[in-house]
Amino acid sequence: MSDDTTPRETDGGHATADLPATGDHVHESSHEHGLPPMESIRRWFVTTNHKDVGILYVVTALFFLVFGGVLALLIRVQLLEPGGTILTDAAYNQAVSSHGLLMVFWFLSPFAFGFANYVVPLQIGAKDLAFPRLNALSYWLYLFSGVLFGISFFQGGTFSGGWTMYAPLNVPIYMPNIGATTAILALLMFTASVTVGSVNFLTTIHRMRAPGLTLRRMPLFTWTILLTVWMMLFAFAALLAALIILSSDRILGTVYFAATDAGGSVLWAHLFWFFGHPEVYIVFFPALGAMAEIFQTFTGRRIVGRKWFIAAMVLVALQSFLVWMHHMFLTSINLPVKTLFMATTIGISLPFDLMVFALIYTTIKGRIRFKTPFLFAFGALALFILGGITGVFLGAVVLDFEFRGTYWVVAHFHYVMVGGVTGLVGAIYYWYPKMTGRMYDEFLGKVHFGMYFVGFNLVYFPMFLAWETPRRVFDYPAVFQPWHQLATAGAFLLGASFLVMFYNFYVSLVSGEEAAGDPWRYVTTAEWAVPSPPPLENYPGRPSYDGGSLQFLEDMGPRPSGIAAADGSGETRSDGGVAAVDGALTGESHEESHASIWPFGISVAGFLVLLGLSGLPSGATLYVTLTVAGFGLGLYTLVGMARESQTFHGPSGPFGESWPFARVENTKLGMWFFLASDVVLFGAFIGAYVFIRVAFGWSAWEIVPHDPIPGLMNTYILLTSSFAVVLAMVAAQKGSRNGLVVSLLVTLLLGVGFLGNKGIEWYELYHEGQWLSTSVETSTYFLTTGLHAAHVIVGLVIVCYMLVRAWGGAYLDDDRPVEYFGLYWHFVDIVWLFLFPLFYIL
Amino acid sequence: MNGDVIQLVVQVDDLIPRGTRMNVFESIYWVFIALGTLVGIIVIGYMTYSAYRYRSTGDHAADGDDDRPYLGELPTGGGKGRKLFLSFALSAVVVISLIVWTYGTLLYVESPVSAQEADEELEIQVVGQQFAWEFIYPNGESSFELHVPADQRVRLVVTSDDVFHNFGIPALRAKTDAIPGQTTETWFIAEQPGEYQAHCYELCGAGHSGMNAKVVVMEPSAYEEWYASMGENASGNGSGDASGENATATPTAGNGTNASGTASTNASENTS
Repeated sequence: MSDDTTPRETDGGHATADLPATGDHVHESSHEHGLPPMESIRRWFVTTNHKDVGILYVVTALFFLVFGGVLALLIRVQLLEPGGTILTDAAYNQAVSSHGLLMVFWFLSPFAFGFANYVVPLQIGAKDLAFPRLNALSYWLYLFSGVLFGISFFQGGTFSGGWTMYAPLNVPIYMPNIGATTAILALLMFTASVTVGSVNFLTTIHRMRAPGLTLRRMPLFTWTILLTVWMMLFAFAALLAALIILSSDRILGTVYFAATDAGGSVLWAHLFWFFGHPEVYIVFFPALGAMAEIFQTFTGRRIVGRKWFIAAMVLVALQSFLVWMHHMFLTSINLPVKTLFMATTIGISLPFDLMVFALIYTTIKGRIRFKTPFLFAFGALALFILGGITGVFLGAVVLDFEFRGTYWVVAHFHYVMVGGVTGLVGAIYYWYPKMTGRMYDEFLGKVHFGMYFVGFNLVYFPMFLAWETPRRVFDYPAVFQPWHQLATAGAFLLGASFLVMFYNFYVSLVSGEEAAGDPWRYVTTAEWAVPSPPPLENYPGRPSYDGGSLQFLEDMGPRPSGIAAADGSGETRSDGGVAAVDGALTGESHEESHASIWPFGISVAGFLVLLGLSGLPSGATLYVTLTVAGFGLGLYTLVGMARESQTFHGPSGPFGESWPFARVENTKLGMWFFLASDVVLFGAFIGAYVFIRVAFGWSAWEIVPHDPIPGLMNTYILLTSSFAVVLAMVAAQKGSRNGLVVSLLVTLLLGVGFLGNKGIEWYELYHEGQWLSTSVETSTYFLTTGLHAAHVIVGLVIVCYMLVRAWGGAYLDDDRPVEYFGLYWHFVDIVWLFLFPLFYIL
Repeated sequence: MNGDVIQLVVQVDDLIPRGTRMNVFESIYWVFIALGTLVGIIVIGYMTYSAYRYRSTGDHAADGDDDRPYLGELPTGGGKGRKLFLSFALSAVVVISLIVWTYGTLLYVESPVSAQEADEELEIQVVGQQFAWEFIYPNGESSFELHVPADQRVRLVVTSDDVFHNFGIPALRAKTDAIPGQTTETWFIAEQPGEYQAHCYELCGAGHSGMNAKVVVMEPSAYEEWYASMGENASGNGSGDASGENATATPTAGNGTNASGTASTNASENTS
């Protein structure tokens, strides 16, 4: 393509006039706020900068792509002939399961979130994410969860029940190896990473947009990430509940999913798919956003029907929580439910039709350049169309009955999911010059695409033709052998295509042509308005869209005139009151911090705890030691991170657009988001309890505590403690140190009283022979109230920390930490108000 | 007027595939394949054509040059809303009508049988266990092979003794989950006597790949004989009668597996 020779004057000079010349911006790398230089290994352990974390995510995700890819090749080799070639039954099941888990969890979403980390703050005009250290924490939790998963292979084999982890195959009687527990705990740790990340992105995107960048005007990639994290916040909370219950079944011996109980098996299916179907869109949306950006850039057109495109995505995000039972058409659900979920399933497919047509029509009147990113995005669209068409087959319930558990399903979801990967591979070529400052080699990029596209269709299309092969089985009718052999050949071609990519990226990193700020033309979004790679603080001035297009206002840096300059440009913001004062207070004294070792430390601690827990039932000293050491390190690092909060400064206001949360400060909003996910967590626990109890027979159920009085007492104790927290906040506002200390002390004592009361109750039950594994009644009782007690304990640890600081005179000039703790504590109380009647009375 | 409506309903009714589950599946599947292929070719063909037509080196590249996006602009709506919605509406009509059409068949497949049919129906309990299928007949006898008479409606009541399985006979288009603690049902009518294969369709442990069962469809008279002699033979070995019928079996997918049935996994515990 000779696009490089096309004239540049169509660029619209009037816009770039406002922007500083990109590419030649000299950044003072000498002082990077305590952050070591790029070449230093240390930098990568302490960095909290969103661009560094983004690169870490992308690189780590690519490692897991190779990991999962090698497992896929093992699967394909095993399928070369009916009955298998190289793997034993157990090994094959492990390969199938870990391939699915690694690709869906440890590759796809983190790969997308590498770009989200790098690009979203740049697109919305933020200097960093709202909580930079939590962002680093998400990454390290992710990395160590992956390490934990890797270790599971060496503990008697990893989990081997498929990525859907159906019950009761997932409980110890059927899968006793420690590695299976480790794999589940690894996923639990990954879920924690996702939750922290979702809270962070939600706060950032909602609160920290440049002036003039309303939600409606937000770039499409940022839109897809916003919807993705909304779905993640709730879907992953449901998965967290499922995984906590499963871990408890495996480690503590509860009997939720054991075969003897009527509801257990189907309960898992409900919990898993309530998460599992939104997960499909969670992994696909970022790819869709990247495709939309790439289409617009390389066709030189704005997307057709932009607002309908966004509306369609919002609709899908909402509806994604209403389709999960279409994965269960062959369970015992009845016809009306089947009909309902058939309807919602078809309903959710239609918005995608609109999105596909919008992308296709965007090409019309374009000036289309077939560069590597566009080839991948275009290919992704074609593959997604095929995935969509074959998905309609599955929406017809009568056909679904026959396709269930066959390669039709395998082929269909690979067209959709790996179609998404194709879009993300386009994204890595698209943003590679931005992230590295170098151009990749275009010829090798096209070679990669050619091999990839042919390889992809060679692997997955024959699966449609051999669709009657049962899924996760390596013994198939001999007539299908040619198709499976073709697929195996395609898999190797697909794998090899990535070697070309790695080679290309490696060589280009060293000797590639230097990339300008905007290497593409016809880009619109703000990440291209800064040099490649962007400087640490992203912008040469304060980005604003108030003038109708992107401008950088000259009030960057710690100058007290910041607010005045903003006023000078004639902007009025609704949150000016609160946020502007923040800015005046903080903006003057310090710049953003970019380094902290504590996220790494906390993740190591979490890793040790979970590794220890995996083997705890065996009682081996090693595992006990690991658990104890992990908890110790965890406490130390958490306190370390909390203490660092006084000197670590994330991005502070004033921000531009914050709708609809203009009046809520970042940390408070983050707390609200976290609590929203916690609501779903407890909701899933309560739902699980009700589901099991209904399956068991509601009235035949035996209430575990004999006497509701201790529970009632605890209700009063907790309510009183909520009142004490309110008093603490009032005391802090009044500047009364003694009042604050006394109120916090009262809270602590009431909390301890609650736990003591509960301890007595549990002690008595234990001595009557009622314990976790006694029956399904005791399992649900102890685990659900235990989860609540764990929340109380966490709250008390925080109270202890705050007591020590309050004693030293903290919080008197800034009572917000007390207020935010109060939010958490009230929430814990409210949960108890639901648990008490459910488990003591009804 | 009323008559017209009834006539119309009857005509629509005629469109809904009925019969054995093989008939139902075949007729719907091929309509979907034909339409799916057509739609796929049109859509992907159109997008490829459009991308080629507006390539930057082509004659039409300058068509929209008066209005290219520029760096830092705020997004605007973008035109062609009418075309977009027309295509969307068209695709929605295709998809919804297809699904509604198959819904009629779903109702047929799931409809409860009449009292008379229920009398003639053969009900067999199927119990999944790692890694074999046990079939329990109305006479209380059980077998590890499924023997059924041709041309008779067979109802399977399926459950599991241990983990989640899924019982399916691909050639007869019967499939349902086998869930511990619950029962699910499915039915089929086999037209051709012969030997078929049943598989497990849900990953159930190490022996999953080999969790198959032989399905023998017999002439009704041969079946009666086999059924009567069930108690005499040890369970799982009562299949001698069927061997003569093989000539008439249609070579569908189920048959191919027989050759590979001895793969490593089958050693596990097919006869437990």
